[in-house]
Amino acid sequence: MQPFDYIKPQTLEEASALLLQHNGQARPFAGCTDLLIRIERGFVHPQVVVDVKDLPGVHDLLVVRNGDLRIGAAVTMNQVALNPTVQSGWPLLAEGCGSVASYQLRNRATVGGNLCNASPAADSAPALICYGASVHIFGPDGPRTLPLEAFFLGPGRTALQAGELLTAITVPFVRGSAGHFLKLGRTTIGDISLMNVAVLGWPDSDVPSGSSWRIALGSVAPTVIRAPEAERLLSQDTSPAGLEAASQAAAAAARPIDDIRATAAYRSDMVRVLTRRGVERVLEEIGG
Amino acid sequence: MAIKKTTIVGQSFPRVESNAKVMGAAQYVDDMQFGPNLLHGRLKRSTVPHAMIKRIDVSKARALPGVRVVVTGQDYPGLTGLYLSDRPTFAVDRVRWVGEPVAGVAADTPELAERACELIEVEYEELPGVFDPEFGASGAAPLLHPDLMDYAAVPFIFRQPGTNISNWFKVRKGDMEAGWAEAAHIYEHTYRVPHVQHVPLETHVAVAQVDGNGKITLWSASQSPFAQRNLIAKSLNISHSKLRVITPYIGGGFGAKAGVSMEGACVVMALNAKGRPVKLAMSRAEEFHTTFVRQGLVAKIKMGMTADGRITAMQNTYYWDGGAYTEYGVNITRAAGYSSTGPYFVPNVHADSLCVYTNHPVGGAMRGFGMPEIHWAIEQHIDRMATQLHLDPVQVRLLNCLKEGQETVTGMIMHPTGLSQCIAKAAEALDWETPSKPSGTGKRRGKGIAAMWKAPAMPPNPGSSSTIRFNEDGTCLVNIGGVDMGQGALTIAAQLAAEGLGIPIEDVRVNTVDTDYSPYEWQTVASRLTWSMGNAILRAADEAKTQIIQMVAEVWGEDPQDLDIIDGNVVSYATEESVPLKNIVVYGMQKPDGTWAGGPVVGKGRFMPTYVTPLDAETGQGPRAVVHFTTGAQAVEVEIDEETGEVQVLKLVSAYDVGKAINPDMVRTQMEGGAVQGLSTALLESIILRNGQPMNPSFTDYRIATAVDAPVEMVNIIVEVPQDDGPYGARGIGEHAMVPTAPAIANAVRAAVGVEIDSMPITSEKVWKGMKGQE
Amino acid sequence: MKHDITFTVNDESYSIAVESHHNLLRVLREQLVLTGTKNGCSEGECGACTVLLDGEPVNSCLVLGVEADGHAITTVEGLAVDGHLAPIQQTMVELGGTQCGFCTPGVLIASHALLLRNPDPSEAEIRAGLVGNLCRCTGYVRIVDAVREAARMQRTSVSPIP
Repeated sequence: MQPFDYIKPQTLEEASALLLQHNGQARPFAGCTDLLIRIERGFVHPQVVVDVKDLPGVHDLLVVRNGDLRIGAAVTMNQVALNPTVQSGWPLLAEGCGSVASYQLRNRATVGGNLCNASPAADSAPALICYGASVHIFGPDGPRTLPLEAFFLGPGRTALQAGELLTAITVPFVRGSAGHFLKLGRTTIGDISLMNVAVLGWPDSDVPSGSSWRIALGSVAPTVIRAPEAERLLSQDTSPAGLEAASQAAAAAARPIDDIRATAAYRSDMVRVLTRRGVERVLEEIGG
Repeated sequence: MAIKKTTIVGQSFPRVESNAKVMGAAQYVDDMQFGPNLLHGRLKRSTVPHAMIKRIDVSKARALPGVRVVVTGQDYPGLTGLYLSDRPTFAVDRVRWVGEPVAGVAADTPELAERACELIEVEYEELPGVFDPEFGASGAAPLLHPDLMDYAAVPFIFRQPGTNISNWFKVRKGDMEAGWAEAAHIYEHTYRVPHVQHVPLETHVAVAQVDGNGKITLWSASQSPFAQRNLIAKSLNISHSKLRVITPYIGGGFGAKAGVSMEGACVVMALNAKGRPVKLAMSRAEEFHTTFVRQGLVAKIKMGMTADGRITAMQNTYYWDGGAYTEYGVNITRAAGYSSTGPYFVPNVHADSLCVYTNHPVGGAMRGFGMPEIHWAIEQHIDRMATQLHLDPVQVRLLNCLKEGQETVTGMIMHPTGLSQCIAKAAEALDWETPSKPSGTGKRRGKGIAAMWKAPAMPPNPGSSSTIRFNEDGTCLVNIGGVDMGQGALTIAAQLAAEGLGIPIEDVRVNTVDTDYSPYEWQTVASRLTWSMGNAILRAADEAKTQIIQMVAEVWGEDPQDLDIIDGNVVSYATEESVPLKNIVVYGMQKPDGTWAGGPVVGKGRFMPTYVTPLDAETGQGPRAVVHFTTGAQAVEVEIDEETGEVQVLKLVSAYDVGKAINPDMVRTQMEGGAVQGLSTALLESIILRNGQPMNPSFTDYRIATAVDAPVEMVNIIVEVPQDDGPYGARGIGEHAMVPTAPAIANAVRAAVGVEIDSMPITSEKVWKGMKGQE
Repeated sequence: MKHDITFTVNDESYSIAVESHHNLLRVLREQLVLTGTKNGCSEGECGACTVLLDGEPVNSCLVLGVEADGHAITTVEGLAVDGHLAPIQQTMVELGGTQCGFCTPGVLIASHALLLRNPDPSEAEIRAGLVGNLCRCTGYVRIVDAVREAARMQRTSVSPIP
């Protein structure tokens, strides 16, 4: 591991300035679970690592006035997954965060870091996308907010500009919703997702089926994606036939690749299977 | 010797060193302190699978402040190898695999060593590679070792001039035409086994230092301190007395730490370090491609059976993907040859086991030494044929499995064996006849079984020795040259010594290995310690006991036949007198006339099998190919998700004939650990190689079984049919525990969903694909 | 680039200067010579380096040493109290949960933490709780037994001290 310096700024302005100053050779981190591996493997060679854990608000995990959940950038996967408020109000998110790697890793890995790595397999992202989460960014021009779906640009690529860092995530509350996160790994639990599916449904008397849906798919495209056609079909019909059609639509939305973990064909079919299973479980809970 | 009831052998003592291990106090090589003078070594490794080295420039690395040593293959061109000396310490002129060391650097910090390696410039002229053993064995393949015939080698391997074949073991037995003619059914199929890695939790690590007299000390996480001393001394052309190897606790081996892989490089760096110690530790990534891996295998099996399931003939061809150097792999090929039929009586056999050079990582010993690989093929093949003939796989195995007095594939007469019992008991414990209900809709269950045999794979004459010294207080030190890598050698040694001496096990200390002070042991491999080292310990104990009893008999004026040592006291059956060992085992005893008898008690014992015979090069036949075979069987039940193809192993039964369980609970822990390692290779493991490049050298993408993947229900059955040349009748069990696991699971998968998996591992995706193919 | 830190390890206070790029594992092993904690992969996958950071298990290979400033660390050397083994250490010995012993320190810390947060874990909870601790020797059977038995000892207040 090549040497680097360590700085723990106290203000957002200071943090942003540090990131600018080192011209891309400074790396922000919170949990360090990804950054140290990348440095160890020689993928990145930072001159300085910037610890965000003293910045204001980064440890927030609370429900704000409008009912949204606010997750500071340094909140860990375990803090989210084991939080009773999250478990009752945002169960899909709790499942996603709780499925990452091991307990000890989740004690350090953060949701913010998971998003900033922009892996298509990030297990927290599909749930957040289903809830319509936004990310809060601070940079040289001050704060800005982006929908999470606009944050991901490609594998390992985000909308963060030079000098910008993610400070928090807000997650809207979806009244009456139930959700499930399903993933497939090589080992039974704790593996990187070969693919994953987040399904969120809630009662909605304005649509023919009586329920509205959001479905997000991980590790089957360059970024986490929605399956809009599947969502639309479910709002029309949640009978077994409708469910099968929606699951197939989700599989059709997937654009996976072959890699050493799985083939595209397997991933696509597993999107179909896990989407159907997820929707079935949600339907049981929301009484569809 | 009269058969006496044992009091310590056969008891399940906790392992003797476990307190140190649970307190974090057990010292491993990387825990040893060498002070601020320690240099940190690192290897510059080849990035290409096959190339000539056009130019290597180390000047920038040498110029970096804090870099103390830079060595290349030009500096130390000597070759090494356990059975075939084909391997340089650092590549000379040519690299043959991705990961091959081309230079070594030692510097004041690991960071400097890493930086220095980056500064070494190597220019390669790439050559066409060999990435498939069947192709490699053909005339079309480029020649990887033009000097193959010039390498030093043991007499029992058979190289083929002008080819990449470094050993060709042949069996020609019986009359093949008659065998095929007698068969009602003949089935032929090809199976594949990928490269896997042993994954000891402790990666390879060594520290070497040269003192002012030129004596080299190597602290090494090794299964083979003596073999390392031998091989490194020979390759550097130095005296064995100038090299000392010290091995403290080691964090698992499974064969990866047998022989020499990276340790020679550490010694070579130390030779240039002006007396400073040099540490070389492999990263987890390096562990996957720079040390040893398990060889890949392509196995072609053709078998004939009568309608009632009797095997009439077998024609097997094993192409071993030996990797860039086959110094160790040639003997795996040989073991596969003399075991090539699996544990069955087959009258007509035509077998070829070929060790083939490829541009892949170097194949070494791994738990089972060729047996998990060939049994993957044989045990699936026999199962499929049983089904094709509408016969029960258990009954077919019971019919064909080797029984005492039958001829093995090489013409050896099978010794007493509990193989039939193992098969029957494993099936019974799994409730073989009764199908069980799946846990829900969309799930299917199946049961599978596989049998196995394995002999200790080694040269004909590997020796063991032991010494026992007593302390003033009646406790004793047992010195051994074998390594406890987790299997429990220290505990077994203590039990055998205590039993042999007649003292409590608490009074026995067993030392870890220092080749300057420990007696010789060939290697800790082949599940041979309990058996071979155990014999040596019993003889040492017997000698020590004889010294004590003769002394006491002399002083008491009794017949030694009337004396015994029980629970740390010499007792007389004639007079009922008794004296504790304390004091008398060092100071001797005073006789009635005031003079003295005895002296410090030192027992020594040795054991070497002397009865193994050579086999004919053309037919593979001979009276005794090996010392003996341990046999056994495993039966598993799986549940499969019909949609995802996920396989869950619900229950796993192991039954092995260990001859005599010296420590039954430790036998069971070997069975459990081996079974889960077998399960892990069966379902998850493969080093993915694309044109020689390892694609998954990390735990991120080389997954091994976790606590959740291991079966919840495991049953272990110990069968004891005594071995005539084993201590108290014992045979080894360490490796055998994983041999039949993968084919047993494959057979269960086939029983559940009808999908046949030819190529390990049995991934969810392969099962899914197989099920899709049925639709 | 060195940073001064003050932290406690196994209830002992230390003020030392650490290199910014050294992970906590290296600081513990090399500067404090607490070598019980092992390095198995440097990537947070194997769990051999697991320690408690303010009472919660973490992979010390993925924590910078400098981040330990102001925090409390517990390593395997800190589990025994006054020379008496903790229940999980006792049961690991008695039930054969350790073989080569290299994963053992991390397994012990992870198990200890599991029992702190869940005094009566089910078999499935024990297995899931140990998914970040790879063991190649035992097949996990005896480790799971040891955790279950240690939980029972602790719940029934069987004194670990003989």
